[in-house]
Amino acid sequence: MSATPWVCLRCLRRSAIRQRTIARYQSTVSVANNISPALLSRARTIAEEHATLTKQLATEYDATAAKRLGELQSTSSAVKQYDKASSALEELQSLLRSSDKELRELAEDDVEPTRESIVNASAELRSSLVPVHPFAHLPCLIEIRPGAGGDEAALFAGDLVRMYEGYCVQAGLRFALLKYETAEGMAGTGGAHVQEAILEVDSPGAYGMLRSEAGVHRVQRVPATESKGRTHTSAASVLVLPSIAPEGGADMGENSFNDPKSDYYVDPKDVNIDVMRASGAGGQHVNRTESAVRLTHTPTNTVVAMQESRSQLENREKAWRLLRSRIAQQRRDVREEELARLRRGAGAGKAGRENKVRTYNWGQQRVSDHRSGIDVRNLDDVMAGGDALERVMASVRAWMAEQEVLSLVAEDEGRTSSKR
Amino acid sequence: MRLRPSLFWQARALDSHLPLLLPVCRDLQSARNELRWLSQHVDDKCRTESREIHHNLLSNYVRRRAGGEPLQYILGSEWFGDLKLYCRPGVLIPRPETAASTSYLVHRLSNGILKNLLPRNLRVLDLCTGSGCIPLLFHHEFYSSPDHRMSTLELIGMDLSNTAIRLAEDNVINQLRLQQHPSSNGEERLKSLRGLRVLRADVMETSPYSASVTEVLRQHRGLKETPTCDIIISNPPYISAKAFRTTTARSVRHFEPRLALVPHNSRHTDSEHDGDAFYPRLLAIANELEAKAMLAEVADMEQALRVAALAVKERCWEGIEIWRDDPATGRVDTTDVGKMSVRVLGDGHGRSVFLYRRLGAAPLAD
Repeated sequence: MSATPWVCLRCLRRSAIRQRTIARYQSTVSVANNISPALLSRARTIAEEHATLTKQLATEYDATAAKRLGELQSTSSAVKQYDKASSALEELQSLLRSSDKELRELAEDDVEPTRESIVNASAELRSSLVPVHPFAHLPCLIEIRPGAGGDEAALFAGDLVRMYEGYCVQAGLRFALLKYETAEGMAGTGGAHVQEAILEVDSPGAYGMLRSEAGVHRVQRVPATESKGRTHTSAASVLVLPSIAPEGGADMGENSFNDPKSDYYVDPKDVNIDVMRASGAGGQHVNRTESAVRLTHTPTNTVVAMQESRSQLENREKAWRLLRSRIAQQRRDVREEELARLRRGAGAGKAGRENKVRTYNWGQQRVSDHRSGIDVRNLDDVMAGGDALERVMASVRAWMAEQEVLSLVAEDEGRTSSKR
Repeated sequence: MRLRPSLFWQARALDSHLPLLLPVCRDLQSARNELRWLSQHVDDKCRTESREIHHNLLSNYVRRRAGGEPLQYILGSEWFGDLKLYCRPGVLIPRPETAASTSYLVHRLSNGILKNLLPRNLRVLDLCTGSGCIPLLFHHEFYSSPDHRMSTLELIGMDLSNTAIRLAEDNVINQLRLQQHPSSNGEERLKSLRGLRVLRADVMETSPYSASVTEVLRQHRGLKETPTCDIIISNPPYISAKAFRTTTARSVRHFEPRLALVPHNSRHTDSEHDGDAFYPRLLAIANELEAKAMLAEVADMEQALRVAALAVKERCWEGIEIWRDDPATGRVDTTDVGKMSVRVLGDGHGRSVFLYRRLGAAPLAD
């Protein structure tokens, strides 16, 4: 008999409902999920090409084929490793179902190491396939501007600036606000009305980490400026540009801006420097405070204006840095556009200004990214730049890597079809 | 030019202070910049005070600025090249054109004819130094170049005004404080900055009792014979009394010291060119001190040509150049002054006259 003389019906019922435990027993799903089918199929085509080339080279030597073979080597061996590991796992699965108890125990012992080797092999496969972004090792500039939505968009832009500052602090990235232009005179309704903010993250590798953030960020909330409690939808655009060290960048390698071949090279002859000059006699006759510097890159018609500091030299330096970054980005965009023509049809949505990439919903306390499809509930942590934001960004990075591979596949297909 | 009323409405929508600043700044963007700098200054000045005190102080600053007071006097500082210098009423605010010429002079030292002409270890004299901006920037630029890291540099500034001398000394002390920290600075750099002196002297020698430049320099060095010097730089008062009334900006006329703008002793020249009074004296001092190079700022191209003509008449200067506002752009024109061909460098208004010569060379023949 029970020690308690009487138990209420509700408690009795509750104890009857077994706590649902979420556990995954020996299934292959989690492992298979580690690598996307697109990646795998691309890897297999490469492995096939590798096999045919090996056969071809066995009969006659060809320098270009040998070179190509070298390029394919790492992927091919990674595929082989992956196949070996997954077939071993399958074998083990069938052994697990056998009636022999001893055999089953032996197989159970082997499952974990095999799984691990699959994870390793797929990681290797991925790194061999996904091209490293050529600017991934660089520091970056994040430019944030309000989009549609007026005041509320400006407020949200301010929130985004704080979010990225928080993220940088958490991730241990060095950063500085290069430009922070607020609309003066907006009555203090909490937060800053940012017109334009440029955050410079000058730790190496920052571009690789943060380039997933480029795009239009949408916010859905009841603005501080709203009196009737209606939810508004506004947007702010985030632009992420690779940046360069100011001067003497010996470690910049090919990106040194004194090298004419580099993307960052800007010929000083192509740049018109406008400084505010007094129209009169100048010198002792006037006493001007204008320190604005405007650089115009004539070939591309890119204009950069800086007037943050009272020191004209400082403005000039900042303007040059910004101009170099913008031009490098443009050059890269041109190159990418050319490639994108090849990749057409792959659905690789480049995160341009036109399409929204993420929504921050205050009402539901939810952040969802429209690219990777991730949904995060912890809005406050995201806005503080905490782990939740890192989770979202990681998912986008994975998505981008997958898209790159998909577009590579499309590129290959495009090439073969055009050959025909 | 009249400002459109709509501009004032536009300004008022942004900030209540902006319409006040518009008439002085003349356009919305620079009014916004100045307001931002002013409010940053208020924030720096009283971090812990209440919002109200902040607001009152800012309103006070804006009112002063709206009355035409130069922003640099309100903020108490101005950038001169890479250096941030103190500014105080009673002393001329350093101008960016002066910084451009000074930097260009130092740039020219390490190559071409000046490298052969001048010794490695330089003695530089700045007359009418004001805030001390020229010697300080010369020092900064000189030691920024790797060629000069081991050279010694003697810098002396001279001024008539005690207010200016005090400010210049404060600026030197401030630069010493700022430049002492990084260990990468050379020993010579610090030694030179510590040796920078600002002395009181009267270039025009208005009375028999006033201290002449040569005498002050002789006493400073503790010499018996006449002292010498390698480079003389000067940004003397060069505005004529009439131009002062008609062409100077209101904030300059009402707030900056007349002593630094208009030569106070204009008996030597006719009234039209009474802004030129300092240049004959500067040339005479250059001869007394056997200077090998001289850089003097002027108001415009006409005055530059007049000064160049004076120098041609002296017949002892081997090279005469006129530098424009931004002399480093690479543009070179030539013009004839008397019998000499004068090179005109750079873009903008005529800004300074630069002279050089070989020491001990015989006077140039006709």
